[in-house]
Amino acid sequence: MSQLLPVIVLAIFVIIFGVTLLFLASLISEKAPDNEVQDESYECGLPSDTSGPTKIPIKFYLTAILFILFDIEIIFMYPWALTYNDFLNGGAGVYILASMGVFLAVFVFGLFWEIKSKALEWE
Amino acid sequence: MWEAIAFYSLAFFLVFFAFKTITVPNPIHAALYLVLTMIGLGAAFFNLGAQFIAGVQMIVYAGAVMVLFVMVLMLFDLKAELRSFSKGLFSGGLKVMSAALLAGLAIGAANSSVAILDTQDAAKPTMDVTRQLGILLYTKYLYAFEALGILLLAVAVGVVAVSRIKGGTHAQH
Amino acid sequence: MGIDSFEFTVNLLKMIVIFMMMVQIVPLLVWVERRGSAFIQNRLGPNRVGPLGLMQLLADAVKFLTKQEFVPGRGYPALFYIAPVVAMIPAALAFGAIPLSMPVNVDAFDWLGQHWGPYVFKFQSYEIGIGIVFVLGVSSLAAFGVLLAGYGSNNKYALFGALRASAQTISYELAMGLAIVGVILLFGSFNFADIVNAQAAPLNFMLAGHKVELGFLPNWGIFFQPLGAVILFAAMFAETNRLPFDLPEAEGELVAGYHTEYAGFKFNMFFIGEYGHMLVASALMVTFYFGGYTLYPFLTPETAPKIMAPIAAMFGWSTTSTAVSLLGALLLHVVLLVKMVIFLWIFIHVRWTLPRFRYDQLMDLGWRKMLPWALFNTIATAVLILVMRHNWGA
Repeated sequence: MSQLLPVIVLAIFVIIFGVTLLFLASLISEKAPDNEVQDESYECGLPSDTSGPTKIPIKFYLTAILFILFDIEIIFMYPWALTYNDFLNGGAGVYILASMGVFLAVFVFGLFWEIKSKALEWE
Repeated sequence: MWEAIAFYSLAFFLVFFAFKTITVPNPIHAALYLVLTMIGLGAAFFNLGAQFIAGVQMIVYAGAVMVLFVMVLMLFDLKAELRSFSKGLFSGGLKVMSAALLAGLAIGAANSSVAILDTQDAAKPTMDVTRQLGILLYTKYLYAFEALGILLLAVAVGVVAVSRIKGGTHAQH
Repeated sequence: MGIDSFEFTVNLLKMIVIFMMMVQIVPLLVWVERRGSAFIQNRLGPNRVGPLGLMQLLADAVKFLTKQEFVPGRGYPALFYIAPVVAMIPAALAFGAIPLSMPVNVDAFDWLGQHWGPYVFKFQSYEIGIGIVFVLGVSSLAAFGVLLAGYGSNNKYALFGALRASAQTISYELAMGLAIVGVILLFGSFNFADIVNAQAAPLNFMLAGHKVELGFLPNWGIFFQPLGAVILFAAMFAETNRLPFDLPEAEGELVAGYHTEYAGFKFNMFFIGEYGHMLVASALMVTFYFGGYTLYPFLTPETAPKIMAPIAAMFGWSTTSTAVSLLGALLLHVVLLVKMVIFLWIFIHVRWTLPRFRYDQLMDLGWRKMLPWALFNTIATAVLILVMRHNWGA
């Protein structure tokens, strides 16, 4: 906890700093007029042609899910990298390399299958 | 004394954010409160001395899973729920059951955290915990670790397959 | 944060000063960017306001403060206002965890009738045991500022820009994480201070059971992980949305991407976040691969106080061990700043040299080229370490 407290203090300070600056800016600047033209979203000056819900490609969802999976695999490599030298010094270097090697083989297979099956095509 | 104040305020904010997650009507606001809850959970793990797990919580949960949640919620143009609380007998039964579950969890947690704020004995260097985790993971729990790799591969294949369901937008011709 | 009030106050001030350092770098970097880009493009850049155009940024700051206060009509005001503040937090938190110089040893002294004990002040906002994992964790939160900005604007261009920016950010976080695994394999620690101290030694590696030492080169990470350094640097470009990866803020394509509807100081805060991430990226590159705040034969935590002691005597400053330690730390801090400035200049130079990637080229590069190469780097590093550090004789 003693290590975490400065982080929380800094986060609170950044928030206070940001809010204070925004508040100062809102005091000094003029208010926007509250008419309908002002409220329209900016589209380079052209009138909005579509309305209603925008259709967005589903590839963003696929990218995010695959990112989660590969991120978890990378997270597993962190304690491995940390204790790699300890295993080496203890004489179990080949063991630790082989065990991660099996995991990496599965990971690499998954990655290359997913590249080959064009799951992330165009993105 | 400061430790106690810090711990109780962290606990209060964690419960508050979790409560707001389930009661606020706008779905994006609910997802953002869930992000704050995940960050608070990371802080709670850190407090318990599991520093690496706190980092993992931030990287994977708050940084990946919640980004997915928020992105997907923004893809759908959801209107705020018209009614926060649903009515009816079935949902009433569910509410009673979840309240009972919550009460049981709270009492169990209170009973098992008897000396949680007592100061730890001579501060171990934190690296030890992470190194111990690493060594354990690759010796005692090696099978679980490899099985997890296969599980992640299954999820990857499943996601791509589900996105190509016949009749969907991505169906293969 | 400190046992007694003196330590607490000093740590608090240190934290605030380091954060303000990050905020104040922004006007300087913007000036360097505008003048530097002008010279690269064979024009002059701002040179009217103040000497060399330095006051231009002050004028810009006043302009930002007085811009009209604006919330898009059907937007979500809460999210719209929170997004710029959220964009600043990850960079500030990450920058606080990186050591900027050697720790300062303060001897016991008496002041105001009380005995203040000996202290060691680390030259960073806070020291986290799991340094690298913490920096990666808070950097992953950078995607939220972007998403909130895009959504709160209720503008479909802003939303598109935000989704593309966050998809790009998360794709390159994978390559970044893998490149860092190489560094951890090499140095065997998550802690930044350990990594920097390991680089303040002559270049040494084990070869067939003997320790080979090349005395004229420092033990920098770049000599062991050149591919990893290139991958990390390129992935950092994508994380900070800098050209050539800045399609999310592309002018002329998506108007201004996710900060289309932002004006005034809120817009400036996004730039504090972006330049803050650039600072963190430069600091990480220097810490992992270029020795951090040390320069092996000449300026290390052992030699710096010894160099500063006669200089302090020459200038007539106090030569107590506290002062000498502080001066040594400042000298090493200057070393770090020089190295970071070089990397910041490389960021700016690349921006005005390379054309922008198309979005599908960008994602293709992240998933199909950088990720396999980063994997190869990790595997090769692990195998090489095993082969070289194995005790063949025993």
